Amino acid sequence: MKTRAHLPRLVACGAALTLALSLSACGNGDASSSDGKIHVLVYGDASNKVEKQIVDTFNKTSDVKAVLDTIPGADYQQKLQTIISTPQAPDIFFNWGGGSIQPFVKADLLLPLDDFIKKNPDLDNRFLPSVFNSAVVDGKPYGVPMRGTQPILLFHNKKVLDKAGVKAPQTWDELLDAVKKLKAEGVTPIALGGGDRWPTLMWFEYLYDRIAGPGLFQKALGGDTKAWESDDSKKALSMIRELVDAGAFGKNYDSVKYTNGASPALLASGKAGFELMGSWYYAQQQEDAKAFAEKDLGYTTFPIVPGGKGDATNVVGNTNNFYSVLKKTEHPEAVAEFLKLMYSDEFVKAQLAIGNLPTTTNTSQFLDSSANPDYSRFQYDLVAKAPAFQLSWDQAYPPAAGTPIQQAVQQFFNGQLDADGFIKAMQALPTE
Amino acid sequence: MTTQITSAPPAAEPRKGDRRRPAGSPAANVGRPGFGWALPAAIFFTLFAIVPLIMVAVLSFMSWNGLGSPRFVGTENWSRLLDDPVMLKSIWITLLLTVLGIVVQTPLSILLGVWAAGHQRNRAVLSAIYFVPLLLSATAVSVLWRALLDPNFGIPAEATWLFGDGNLFGEQTTAIGVLAFVSTWQFTPFHTLIYQGAARAVPEVLYQAAEIDGAGRYRQFFHITLPQLRNSMITSMILMTVGGLTTFETVLILTQGGPGTDTTISAYYMYEKAFKSFDFGVGSAIALTLVVAATVISLVVVRVSGYDKMRSSMEGVS
Repeated sequence: MKTRAHLPRLVACGAALTLALSLSACGNGDASSSDGKIHVLVYGDASNKVEKQIVDTFNKTSDVKAVLDTIPGADYQQKLQTIISTPQAPDIFFNWGGGSIQPFVKADLLLPLDDFIKKNPDLDNRFLPSVFNSAVVDGKPYGVPMRGTQPILLFHNKKVLDKAGVKAPQTWDELLDAVKKLKAEGVTPIALGGGDRWPTLMWFEYLYDRIAGPGLFQKALGGDTKAWESDDSKKALSMIRELVDAGAFGKNYDSVKYTNGASPALLASGKAGFELMGSWYYAQQQEDAKAFAEKDLGYTTFPIVPGGKGDATNVVGNTNNFYSVLKKTEHPEAVAEFLKLMYSDEFVKAQLAIGNLPTTTNTSQFLDSSANPDYSRFQYDLVAKAPAFQLSWDQAYPPAAGTPIQQAVQQFFNGQLDADGFIKAMQALPTE
Repeated sequence: MTTQITSAPPAAEPRKGDRRRPAGSPAANVGRPGFGWALPAAIFFTLFAIVPLIMVAVLSFMSWNGLGSPRFVGTENWSRLLDDPVMLKSIWITLLLTVLGIVVQTPLSILLGVWAAGHQRNRAVLSAIYFVPLLLSATAVSVLWRALLDPNFGIPAEATWLFGDGNLFGEQTTAIGVLAFVSTWQFTPFHTLIYQGAARAVPEVLYQAAEIDGAGRYRQFFHITLPQLRNSMITSMILMTVGGLTTFETVLILTQGGPGTDTTISAYYMYEKAFKSFDFGVGSAIALTLVVAATVISLVVVRVSGYDKMRSSMEGVS
């Protein structure tokens, strides 16, 4: 029965949080790992297989044992935030860097890693710099890369493009041209899961970077809201408008979702030509449409915008996942030892074997052992050469800005907001 | 309702310590359970409803992101909420969805319920089928309809004459329409059940008398069945109102409050503020507003309908 159940439940959640808070206040000074072990908290999914293996390896040589805890499902961030100030808090936890850990840094819960790095410079040197830097908050590193990088690529259906006489576009004009030709063929030029909103955001992230370079967004993120009013910003918006108005995404993109497999199916079934998506797309298509993924799925980098200030090799996406360390951990030495494993050969090989692409400098040696060497090599070169790797906007900003960004993006796409409205919405975002 | 107390031995030989029925008490209380019976429920209610409610009220005057200590900010959350256009909009959308639900579901479930109370052939089988949506969780129902309504692979792709380009979730009117439809699809069976029970309880003699007086089926329905369903109707409508005000899963899964903020109902806005933006102060203020609104509306419905006086629907029967 629907009725009264929801409200008290949500209310109770809030109260439970209050309770948890007061508990942690009472238990002042209680270290997280009072059981003498270090707890490693990660997002529960298929990658846990590797994490389990790494923990086992660590425990073979370490006196202080590590325990792997997982939180399943998409509620990771919410649940993490509820337990982190309680006695159940982990010693090490998985995150996306940037804005996703900023509130924890502000609340003085995290350990800056410079001391670890001073003792063992490899903790910094052995990772690609563009990736390592996205877990730097206020000039101090708070994360060591783990799992893999996820750059956003422009995927396409080779068959559909061939039929329309289109090649994978290198420039923006070629993309506009491709849109026209694909439309004439009666297919949706670009598949877009607008119902999820974050896929729409990807178009903004790349265009802003190509036109203005990474500086504009970094300025805005730093609190300089004037950046959103700049000519480059307006130019990016007008180009997005042009693309949408040209019918590039069809008319019903806001009713299509990526997360229920609808937009990937558009590409796989030949009803669309392109889709802009994170590198996990390949694995997704392999699962949903194996034959298509093996024969007809193509991928390229995002097109160049002539005259744009951004380097054509810049990349946008989820730079990586990171391990951050809680300040109150009782075993900092053991934690530092554990983090060293994140650039070990064993870690890299195990991640590659399940399709993740680690961003350590030794990764390139093992690319041939990956699930799909060509694809892994393409991605790795892309990320290794990228002068800048822009973390997704909704991850770079603190969590409070996530929903407003996605709303503004959706509203600009469907015409509810004009350029000025979008600029105002972005200027109103909380930066801390 | 008979209870164990009524079957207890007579008070001639009072046992020691039997406080509920002291020796020589008047027989007026026979059959009425003592306050002790309500204790478990009362404790449970206090612990899981009253205490959290008070905490939420306190939290609504604080600024807290879930980390560190909450900071007292006075009425800042409340004044921010008053100036928040999305909050105002969310209240309108919530009310709109609630009213839509009542207007659509009430006639439907009355008709279905009265029909299901009859003795037609195959009625039991069909009733069982109608009942299925209620057995599914709101989450499952929402996921199901989101997939069914996909513009390229779902129903809209097959019926373009009706759905056009199928952009149901991209516009406010259609998105609200979908939300109302999905709730109706899921909850009409429940209200049908209420009306079925009530319709079965209508004494047969009323219809027999009407038949003798020459009243047709429509007159019987409007002059006997409907008035007899009055109390059930109020019960059902209160449930719909409270249910409508606290709708949550359907919005979370079907629209995420979009496009833009066009389907951001208050309960979803509360979730968004508290658990996505980690602004528990404002989230609590929204929660409290909802609690007050739901209580006031329920009380008004009860008062206006005269339900509190429990006027008998058996008038004129005996």
